[in-house]
Amino acid sequence: METEVKDQLVSIEKPQLIAPPNWEPVIMGILCNWCSYAGSDLTGTSRIQYPPNIRIIRVPCSSRVDPWFLIKSLQTTADGVLVSGCHPGDCHYISGNYYARRRFLVTKKLLNFVGFHEDRIQFSWVSAAEGPKFAKVVNKVTEDIKKLGPLHLYKKENFEK
Amino acid sequence: MNYTKQIQEIAAKLFAEGKIDVFVGYRMNGFDDNQVPVLITGPQEVSRLVFTDKSVFNLVNYLKTDHTRRKRVGLVVKGCDSRSLNLMLTESQVKRENLYVVGICCEGVVDDAGRKMQNCTECMVPDAVVSDELLGTPSNIGLQPYAVNPDIAVLAEKPLPERAAYFEEVFENCIRCNACRHSCPLCYCAKCCIDQETATLYNGANTTSGAFHALMTWSLHLAGRCVDCRNCEKACPSHLPLHLLHKQNESVIYENFQEHLAGVIPGDRGAFYKYSMQDPDDFIM
Repeated sequence: METEVKDQLVSIEKPQLIAPPNWEPVIMGILCNWCSYAGSDLTGTSRIQYPPNIRIIRVPCSSRVDPWFLIKSLQTTADGVLVSGCHPGDCHYISGNYYARRRFLVTKKLLNFVGFHEDRIQFSWVSAAEGPKFAKVVNKVTEDIKKLGPLHLYKKENFEK
Repeated sequence: MNYTKQIQEIAAKLFAEGKIDVFVGYRMNGFDDNQVPVLITGPQEVSRLVFTDKSVFNLVNYLKTDHTRRKRVGLVVKGCDSRSLNLMLTESQVKRENLYVVGICCEGVVDDAGRKMQNCTECMVPDAVVSDELLGTPSNIGLQPYAVNPDIAVLAEKPLPERAAYFEEVFENCIRCNACRHSCPLCYCAKCCIDQETATLYNGANTTSGAFHALMTWSLHLAGRCVDCRNCEKACPSHLPLHLLHKQNESVIYENFQEHLAGVIPGDRGAFYKYSMQDPDDFIM
């Protein structure tokens, strides 16, 4: 990535802005109650370490995730969002994650189109038995977003002072 | 393309037979050669109706006003307008038996400067898909292979910071008048989600970030339903390139879910109301 070549970490969408020293990203994790939330619980009870940058919200199903959740998170504190749900075919509500999958793709592409790096909005399928996978996913998302630098696009506080 | 005489005759006939209460058409705006929509309630006003290639607005939008609700309405629709009418019928917003639809086989409309509008140059459904009476010669072009809008292709090529700066300027110019929403035939909710006073999620500020939130919400609610009539762009006082958001969603939906254009098939509710096992999964970890 071109951001690693420079000595200072910059925001990838606005390269003129430099990240403060020891900057840590904030990641919004939106997890489905039946699979991913239980999976994250298993990660904890299995004593597997994962970065503390993720802030977790529990939702009933991945299809409960309105694009508003992503937009609102990105507008306030988050530098990235991770949405996680059951594997296709495993949905507690039979077909929720199939509907969600279509919405996620369109939302991701639209946010990328208006200027957000595509790694800021990430999705994963994590089942209740996949504790190590959840840790791996959070590690990867945190690493990705650390490379991108802080998010400065459409932040509420930049405009409302 | 001039159907003024035929439309006047049809409207007069419908009023004489007592088939309609209101006729929605176009009239000259009174000071130049541009046209505005008009609602006609009696045969004495029929002479005001016109239809030429300056008839740019989507009249289906007027089916959601109190002047036409629960009344028998005559209506002029072009190809794109008829697709939005098809969606309104599918979503149970209007009753087909209350409508008398005059469909036009459209040859494209022109903007203020006399140029053919961009959505008309790339139009794939010029003939009205819903009609009681069809004026003009059907082109019968059928469904063409999808071509990505040239503006989208140009923007997608740009590096990320440039694109971000471009869109930040677009959202900065939004004055939050909500004309895009009011002019859209498919934004028919009596109470819009972005109007709620006690919203906890919605950023209702009249700022760039608020405009971003509003336009993102709006375009995602129309994803898979937008018929590209560009009524929003015609209504926008800041001349924002709103079609970019819709065309982007449309191209993603067309390429990934192989969905037809919205509103072409009667009873088809759009891409977000169904799913397929073969939907792309590679962007998910």
